[in-house]
Amino acid sequence: MAEEAPRFEEALAELEGLVQRLEKGELPLEESLAAFERGVNLVRLLTQRLAEVEQRVEVLLKTEAGRLIRRPLEDEEQ
Amino acid sequence: MLRAGRAPRILSVTELAQLLRGALDAGVGTVWVAGEISNLKRPASGHLYFTLKDDRTQLGAVMFRSAAQVLVFQPVDGMDVVVRARADLYPARGALQLYVEAMEPRGLGALTLAFEQLKARLGAEGLFADARKRPLPRWPRAVGIVTALHGAAIHDMRTVLARRWPAAAVVLRPVRVQGRGAAREIAAGIEDLNRLADVDVVIIGRGGGSLEDLWAFNEEVVARAIAASTVPVVSAVGHEVDFTIADFVADARAPTPTAAAALVVPDQAEVVGALARAEAGLRGALARRVGQARERLVTLDSRLGDPARRLRDLTLRVDDLGARADRALMRRLAWDRRELAALGARLERGGPPARLRGAREQLDAAMGRLRFAAAMRVRHARAALERTAAQLDALSPLACLERGYAIVRRGDAAGPVVSDAAALRAGETVALVFARSRARARVEDTEG
Repeated sequence: MAEEAPRFEEALAELEGLVQRLEKGELPLEESLAAFERGVNLVRLLTQRLAEVEQRVEVLLKTEAGRLIRRPLEDEEQ
Repeated sequence: MLRAGRAPRILSVTELAQLLRGALDAGVGTVWVAGEISNLKRPASGHLYFTLKDDRTQLGAVMFRSAAQVLVFQPVDGMDVVVRARADLYPARGALQLYVEAMEPRGLGALTLAFEQLKARLGAEGLFADARKRPLPRWPRAVGIVTALHGAAIHDMRTVLARRWPAAAVVLRPVRVQGRGAAREIAAGIEDLNRLADVDVVIIGRGGGSLEDLWAFNEEVVARAIAASTVPVVSAVGHEVDFTIADFVADARAPTPTAAAALVVPDQAEVVGALARAEAGLRGALARRVGQARERLVTLDSRLGDPARRLRDLTLRVDDLGARADRALMRRLAWDRRELAALGARLERGGPPARLRGAREQLDAAMGRLRFAAAMRVRHARAALERTAAQLDALSPLACLERGYAIVRRGDAAGPVVSDAAALRAGETVALVFARSRARARVEDTEG
């Protein structure tokens, strides 16, 4: 999962770079088209990721031995 | 001085001291005394020794370690204080001494004074310097929160984080935020969250309260933990007006937990808007790029107009030269034929056979030279044509095609050039003319 899905900020930085390069108008036509396709894919990917995601809420606990444990926060604990 | 019959009771020094101590206990007891601290000493034992004085009197005082260590502020020389003390005699030196059980600064509250003292000390150490402040991450993977498990603070933060940026995980490290030991728990919470790889920012906070309620956030152990944190820390102690020490050390300060949550994550709605703008930017830029390429083709095409005419002109000229060559050849042949006929006639009139032979050879030679000359002329003309054609080629659309462009023609390779997809319909057949080859293609769809 981590491999195929770049971090949000990395994907966004790539997208910004593509828009900039394309806007300069210096790319050969073929590369412009490739940059456009990649950029539109990134937009779709990022928008979709935002739409799908549900916030994970965890609680960090410490055992007697000092070990840290993360576990989902149950709503009844609220 | 001694009178008979009433023998006075003679006390030992110790007995007298005991008597005095009893009198002090019964007559004075535990009192509150106001005075100024001077000659303060703080030996390794942890006890505090000082003189409490006003403008006319001074009394020695001691505050034992057990009492001194719960002081939130630091007593110093010259400080006006009120102490709760028991007056007693220190028998070994026969000195009257105040045994101080509690101390409050005069004027300011003890907490206010402690706050000012710690603020001055940490400030002098440079812990509040702007240069130390780290920027908050734009896209935190996880937000660590050190606060109470129950209460408005965590609820408010969760609500805001879920609305603005659900992509970030929330890791709550529950602690007590007030009472004895709270500061130590908060400091430990900051340290624990620092051990998680995905936590990119930490919020410490609580809802509002009195100065006493917020006190844990004014303790040095919390300040030190914030300063030692490897990820930025946002302080969100719900108090709009007053700052805590944690606020000064933290990388960012928010007036409320809600505001802190909004500070550490981007707003999803804005990001979606930015993505839409990026897509529009991509479309616009591509459209401009294609337009630019099309414009260049049109320019090249118009520049090719003249050379094409030149090619036609040259073709005509070569044709003309060829025709003239042919005519010249024919004239020459006709002349030769007339010559030949004349010679023949003279021969028939009885010329010598040797002369006839000579004339025939002469005629053959002339014919050969003539053919050669004519062939040379045509060859020169062809060479000139080829040179011009090569010059033309450099300017021709073919050279452009060599670089990867293709000309789209409607129907087949003889059809009209298509310069706008709007002229095409889906399903229509087009010819793609490349530099040295062509292809037939069908239009799937048109756009833009």
